[in-house]
Parts: sequence; structure tokens; C-alpha cells
Amino acid sequence: MLDMMAKVIDDLSEKDVTFADIRQEFHASTQIMVVNGDLRRFSRATKGGTVVRALVGECWGMASTSETLSAEICRNLLTDAVKSAKANAKFSRKKLDFSEIKPIEKTIWQESKINPAQVSTEEKLDFVMALDKGQKTDDRIVNTNSVYNDAKRVYRLVNTAGSRLEWDELRTLAVVQPIARQGDKMHFDYDVKGGRVGYELIQQIDPDLFGAECSKGAIELLSAEKPPSGNMTVVVDGAISGLIAHEVCGHASEADEVVKGRSFLTGQVGKQLGTEHVTMVDDGTLKDVSGSFPFDSEGTPASRTMIIENGVFKGYLHTLETAILMGVNPTGNGRAQDYNRRIFARMTNTFFDKGHWKDDEIIADTKEGLYVIKAMSGMEDVVGGGVQCSALKGYIIKNGEATKLVRSMSLAGKVIDILKTVDAVGDELEFWGGTCGKGEEDFLSVSSGGPHMRAKMVVGGG
Amino acid sequence: MKIDDIAEKTVSLAEKSGATQAEVYAVTVKTSSIYIDDGIPKIGGSMIEAGIGLKCIIGKQIGFTSSTLAQETPTDVVERAKALAKASNADPKFESLPDPKKASGSLDKFHDKETALADSELLMDKAMEVVKAASSNNVTVPNGSLRASSIHYHINNSLGVNTGSQGTLIFGFFTAKSEDNRNVGEGVQRCWSREIGAIDFGKIGEKLRAQALSVLKAKPFKQKWDDAVAILTPSEGSEIMYQLVAFAVSGENVNKRSSPWSDKMGEKVASENLTIYDNGLSEKGLLSSIVDDEGVPTQKTPILEHGVLQSYLFDSYNAYQVDMQPTGNGIRRTPRELAGRFSIAAVCAGTTMEIKPSSKSVEDLISEIKRGVYIEHFAYPLVDSMSGAFSNEVRNARIIRNGELGDQIKYALWVGNLFDSIKGDLQVANNLEVHDKKIVPSIAFPKTELVGQ
Repeated sequence: MLDMMAKVIDDLSEKDVTFADIRQEFHASTQIMVVNGDLRRFSRATKGGTVVRALVGECWGMASTSETLSAEICRNLLTDAVKSAKANAKFSRKKLDFSEIKPIEKTIWQESKINPAQVSTEEKLDFVMALDKGQKTDDRIVNTNSVYNDAKRVYRLVNTAGSRLEWDELRTLAVVQPIARQGDKMHFDYDVKGGRVGYELIQQIDPDLFGAECSKGAIELLSAEKPPSGNMTVVVDGAISGLIAHEVCGHASEADEVVKGRSFLTGQVGKQLGTEHVTMVDDGTLKDVSGSFPFDSEGTPASRTMIIENGVFKGYLHTLETAILMGVNPTGNGRAQDYNRRIFARMTNTFFDKGHWKDDEIIADTKEGLYVIKAMSGMEDVVGGGVQCSALKGYIIKNGEATKLVRSMSLAGKVIDILKTVDAVGDELEFWGGTCGKGEEDFLSVSSGGPHMRAKMVVGGG
Repeated sequence: MKIDDIAEKTVSLAEKSGATQAEVYAVTVKTSSIYIDDGIPKIGGSMIEAGIGLKCIIGKQIGFTSSTLAQETPTDVVERAKALAKASNADPKFESLPDPKKASGSLDKFHDKETALADSELLMDKAMEVVKAASSNNVTVPNGSLRASSIHYHINNSLGVNTGSQGTLIFGFFTAKSEDNRNVGEGVQRCWSREIGAIDFGKIGEKLRAQALSVLKAKPFKQKWDDAVAILTPSEGSEIMYQLVAFAVSGENVNKRSSPWSDKMGEKVASENLTIYDNGLSEKGLLSSIVDDEGVPTQKTPILEHGVLQSYLFDSYNAYQVDMQPTGNGIRRTPRELAGRFSIAAVCAGTTMEIKPSSKSVEDLISEIKRGVYIEHFAYPLVDSMSGAFSNEVRNARIIRNGELGDQIKYALWVGNLFDSIKGDLQVANNLEVHDKKIVPSIAFPKTELVGQ
């Protein structure tokens, strides 16, 4: 198939087209969902598709199909992509020079200790049933939800620079979400374990413990109080520091937002943005973590990019195009959700790096404040540099001790102000895998993470 | 092969293979798109995707699988679904797939030819109308996207369901950046419709520019108001109301006891000013269709009438468990993303949430408020659907004092509990707008807090 795709690209004779690529994808996933002890969903989904891109001036055309791939279909897609690129190029202000892109010929198949495809369905079902049973620890747990998912994607890519690539990505995931109810009060808790790994991840989970711990969290939330609101000292866990890294510094470091001057981090390389405790990295090469991959959707190898080092802003996350525009090397951050969606600059595994404090030392060193844990969601503010991160729960810190449990809150502030108040960073990193959207869509696998971290932020509790 | 033939053939294959019941959802989606980047059309795209989702049932054992059929045959898909069903535990709650029922109207009732034929060049022209109208000396349009999609789906099952629907939708998302010597600001506008001809793109650009410029005047809010009324524009209010209400009235959540309204049928759960319908036949609804994604005829279902809970929403799985009839709420499609939905079995979900408007204008609502805030844009509006708690960062808003709009503000958190707020003196305006799965006017939410930074 790769030879056929390469021949179509090699035969391209359009003079105006300065770069083109063809990417073929095949996705297969298994999902098992158990609700209240009953198997609610057992599914196996497959889909395949091909997308062709062509560049004219500074404008792209893109065409995709789910039809069975043949040389004729490839050629038709290329014709459609060129037509769209030429139409857009009426507005083009410059020509992009992709001639320096180095070709790569490589095949990389992911090695996992236990391939999920070799594990019996009975074993997977037993695991999810056990996860669900593990949550049913108390009569106040009125609803248990348990999910297992494995997903494999196979990619083939050729481009006019001469790259010929084949690779795959395999990810596995387990989720529990118990819901506790007492009178009119209802609260949930959740926990997730996932990564770019095989079934060995699942075999390391104790389903009773995993479920029971989460149910304990949901029951405790029934008696949690409303958190205080206002500007205060906040200690966040690694999931929330990761969310802050991802939503604010991460999205604003995506170079497509920089080359057009939309990001508040435009022109900040070399400037001191935070205290010396702040170091932030995007690393698509980390072993076993959800946001890792061998090549991005343009065929650039994943890499480690230093975004902030000891408080000084260092650099951006690049596609082929933004790297050319800014005169640097591409960083392997050109990613697309799938063959139906565009490629643009996206994160991989984004995190604040660890410091020297023990987590309990940070709490003990805090006279008054809020210890916030369990990230829920966040939203970027690339233009203004604001933060919105919501969390499931936290504890009021008084005289160096985590005391009363509080629930449901958002953290806000200007990230530049927050980073300048970071004065303690923990010595343990944790990563949370999930999906990330950009501009409200285009979801793909990433992880974010970090250590415990202390800073001043605005808290609002609902 | 046509999708209705594929659906019929695959159901027949599944039955011959031993399925006691089978259901196929076959779909074709065509999408044209344009992405605006730094004020120019950066990427023009065309996409076509076809696929099937097959539910294979053996007794009470259910297997679901899906495929684009690019690398396998319907027989392969049937064999996989059968293997999944055989490996499954029996689901004691499963009763049956839905029976055939006659839907009213033709399958193309909600299909607009002009939208279906829109290619990326037409979209480029429309998107550039937005850019042109929004741009000025200190306003640029760094980002935008405009997509036109058409969908044709067909459902066939062993009980005789043999039906489908066609639809179209257009979605646009644009941001504008404003800048003066001291500040930067951002405007965000979305547009949703089933018909491209119904959208005034120049007007969207003008609104985008005005919004971006107004943010430049915003000052950080530094106070803490414990009891403020917040008027939310339709784009923001619709989102939090849908998150709360759609979760609470989902038959699935009611059956599994995760709905806060699971035992409140007939009770007053909100202000008498709040009347809400789920309308699968909504004239402007983006998911409007003559049948849902299980082939059940769609309908207009009252959810709340003057604050009193009237009905839950049911797909067939959840309806039959409690001896009810499905309400046409077995849904796979979403207005944001029509592609890839064949790979998901139908779930119990809303079609179009319609909130009944009042006769009051937004200005009337503002004039009745002593102290409050008029919020145009959050970072992203979110509410905890179980507890009702919310805490959202305000990105663009104006203070309301003594019935009049005052200063533009930013950097504030809007905080409260939505279940409590909607039971209070909630007010609804008359300016209905379509946003995603909702047709909603501006709403004034009482008993909330505004926390400054």
C-alpha cells in the first residue's frame, strides 16, 4: 500500500504545489462498559480512511475519504486537494519553502508486553465486572460505572519530501465512576488509569482497591462543604498543575498561535515569566504515556521541547509550517484528530517538571490556604493568558494541616501572575492521560502532569 | 451499494448467522470546510465518510460493532458482532429493539439542498464575508472555521424498522483579536443552522468586531458580590441549562439512579417561568429528523411546564425497562461532528432543547435588575450535572446597576448552584437563538455570586 501511495505522490506534476502528503489510517478499538453490575456495552469499532494534503503558496487543500484505498482514489483525492489549495491561494501572501524537509523511511511497530488482542474477552469482561463490584462498598453508592477501552491506530504516510513511514499506536484505559447519594445530595468521584501501553496496565490494577478507593471519595464528598472564594494560597496536586500547564502555557506555546500573533506568549523567548521553581516541558517521547507517539501526523518524529526553564520562556511547539516560518526545527507537534480533520500545532505530554519539596512538606509549610485535588476540566485563553481550571475537591489548609473537605471549585487568574508566585514544587511527577480539544473541537490523545505546586490563585466554589 | 441496501443485507446476514434480533445504522456524511487563519482562507477541505453500526442480539446477549467497510465485508462485520454477543453476559434489562412505527413527513423534510451542495470555495466566500466585516485597524480575525455537512442515514432492524432521514447543517466558529496600546481583547462568535442561506455572515463579522472592541474597555472586577443576578446570552445560558436538564431527564440516568430528578416527576423543580421541551421535529433544530437514530419517530416532548417536571426522555432500551414507550431519543448524531457516529450505539440523549421565550426583551430583563451582571462569554460554561455547582470564568461581561448596563468587566468568577438558582426568580427573554442542540433565549439567573480577582 505504501508503494502505491508513494507512486501517486511521485507522479504529482502540479507546478504550483510545493508540498503534498498522503496519510492512511486504520483504527480499531474495544470498549466494555458495566453499569450497576450489568454489561451495558460491549463493542468493537473499526474505521479506516485516507487524507491527502496539498500546499499552494501558504494555503492548503485537504480531501479525505473512507473508501477502500486504490491508486485511482488517491489520485482523485489529490486532485480535489490541489483544487481547494489553488482556490484559497488567491489570498496567499507568501510562498512557503518546504524543500529543506528531510525524508525519513521507517517502520515502527509498538512493543507491548501483552497485546490486548491476545487477551480473551472473558478475561476483559471479568476485569470490568470486578471493577464495578469493587465500587459497591456502601448503600449510599447508588450507581457504579466502569469502563475498559483499548484502541489501536495504524498509520501510513508518504510525502513529496520522500518520507515513507508506517507506525502504530496502542492505548489502554480503565475508568471507574461511582455516584453517592444521601437525601437530595449527590456526588461522584472518578479515577482513570491509562497509557500508551498494552494489557499489562490492566493486570497491574487491583479492581477491588481501585473501585473502593474511588467510592470512598464519592461518599466523603456528600459531607463536603462549599469552598471559600477569593484570592488565596493554593497547593495543587500534579493533575491540576498539569492542567494549568496544558491549558494556559501549553496551548499558548502552540506555534500556529504564535506566528499570527494571537498568543500572549508571542515574542516571549528569553523572558523571565515565572519564578526559578517553574520548568515546563512538552515531551512526546515519554515511555508508556498517553500523549506519546513515534511520529506526528506530518511524519515528524516526536521530541522533547523545553517550554519554560527555571522561569525563563524557551520555545514553542511546531508543525512543519510553523517551524519553517520561524526558522527552527519542527518538534513533532503537527497532529490531527483523524483523517477527517486538519493538522495544526498540538501538545503531546505537557507538564511542569519536578522540584525538591516533599508533598507533605508543602502542606506543612502553608499556614492558610486551600489544597486542591482531582482535576475536572480546563479551558485555554491563548489571547489573554487567563486560567480556568475546575477541580472536584480540596481541603482547607490551616496551620500546615489539610483539614475540612470542600467540593467543586474553579481556579482562575492570569497565568503570568500565577507563575510569579510559585514558591514550592514537589519532587514527584504524576501524569494523567486524556483527550484535548483546541478551539472547542479536534480531540486527540494527550497527557498532562506535574508535581504538587504552591502558588496564589483566585478560587471560586459553587 | 446504497446505504438502505447495505442495512437490509447486513440485518439479513446477522439473522441467518443466528441473531435473534439485529439492527443496522448505515450512514453517509459529506462535509466541506474552510479554516481561516490570520485573516485568510488557510485550509479548504472536502470529506466523505460512510459506515455502519451493527447491534447483534442473541437472546439477551448484545454485541455491537461498526465499520467503514473499507477493509472488510458485511459478513466479517456480522461474524465479529456475533462473537461479541456470544462472549457477553446476558443483559437482564434488555427487552427488545424498537417496533416499526410510522413517521410523519418525508425523509428529506430537514434537508437543505443548497447547504448539501456547498463546497469549500462557497464556504471560503462566506467565511471571508465574516473576516471583511470584522476586520478594522485594530481588529484581526486570527481563527475561524466554517463547515457544511449533509447526512443520510438508514436504520433497519429485525422487527421491521426500515426507515431513515436526511439532514444538513452548517457550523461556524470565529474569533477576533483587538488590540490598543495597553490591552488585548477577544471576540468569539458561533453560527449554527440547517440552511446556509439563513445565516447573515456579514452581521456575524460586525458582531465579532463589536465584541472584540468592547473587551478592550473591560476592567478587572475586584469586588465580591454574594447575591447577584446574572443574565447569560443564549450561547452561554443554553450550554449550562442543557448540561443540567438533559442529564437530569435522561431515562438512562433516571433508571440507573444517577439523575437528581429521578424521583421528582410531577414536582416543581424550577421557576414557573421555565418551560422546556425536547423537540426532535424542531423547525430550526440541527438534529431534527423524522426518526431518531434507532428508527423511532421523533416528537415534541414537554420536559418542564412552568417549572413542573413533566417527562423523562427515553431511547428504546431505557423505555422498555420501565414499561414506557421510547420518545425518539435514541441518538448517535451530534451537531458538532456528524462523522464517525456510526461507531457508537444509540444512547439516550436530547434532540433539540427548546426553552419557551417570554414576551420580555433582554432590555426589559436588565431594567428589572438592581445589581447584577450581563455575561456574553465564559472561558467555557460548565456545571456539575449532579450537584448543580458551577464556577465559571467570565471573559466578557458588563455590570448591571439599577436597571442599566454599566462598566465592561473581565477576570471574575461566576459562582453558584444551578439547581438552587433555577428555583428562584428566574426570568426568560424573547431572543431565541440556535446553539448546538439548543434553541434558547437570554436567561436571568438569580441567587448567584460574582467573585473578582
